[in-house]
Amino acid sequence: MNSTIRIQAYDFDLAAEYELLRQFDSAVGTVVIFTGLVRDLEKNASINSLTLQHYPGMTESLLQEIVDQAQQRWDLIGVTVIHRVGELLPSDQIVFVGVASQHRADAFEAAQFVMDYLKTKATFWKKVDQDGQQHWVESKDSDQAASQRWANDD
Amino acid sequence: MIKLLFFGRLGDFAGGVSASIEAAEGLTPAIVRDGLAADHPALFAELSQSQVLISLNQMIVGWDQPIFDGAELAFLPPVTGG
Repeated sequence: MNSTIRIQAYDFDLAAEYELLRQFDSAVGTVVIFTGLVRDLEKNASINSLTLQHYPGMTESLLQEIVDQAQQRWDLIGVTVIHRVGELLPSDQIVFVGVASQHRADAFEAAQFVMDYLKTKATFWKKVDQDGQQHWVESKDSDQAASQRWANDD
Repeated sequence: MIKLLFFGRLGDFAGGVSASIEAAEGLTPAIVRDGLAADHPALFAELSQSQVLISLNQMIVGWDQPIFDGAELAFLPPVTGG
């Protein structure tokens, strides 16, 4: 399987990433793409900006582990994970997960698994600026629950 | 030397992301944490929360893992990426 993991400050191009996944192999019958964007609200208050911190080296290893687990669970041809870091503004793209497979069920499920695990295991931390006040975002129980259900499937 | 890294909100309590301490015989993450209690009580309280994970040389480990000279010890609050 082909996997690409990138952590970058600059934006990503959805069409270019899709083309790469589409052209991995002529056996690709489906490509599922997920993108995460910066919401303008955090706890019902508007944000000016969001800053993403990560642990260089460890984050890439953890993402690779997540992708490797997905490959073991589903029949996949290619996986791309891109996560941006640094300062982002509302509506900016944060995260890209693209999965190419022969059949759609594998790609749909694997994309959801990668996102659920990324949100609870990969070493990223968000800080938001709300009216000049900066504070770190707290983790959500709902993200833990989403991740846990895959573990329960084992 | 041991390199210490404090991510997310822990960095605010530590006064920065990165710090270093001298290596010592029998050092563990728990001993490093407890050593911060006197001079940095707020940071110590944050590090003592059960959701804080630790990594040694970028591998998740337990609080009693031996730490050797040259290691990188990171304190990781709950992650919030994606």
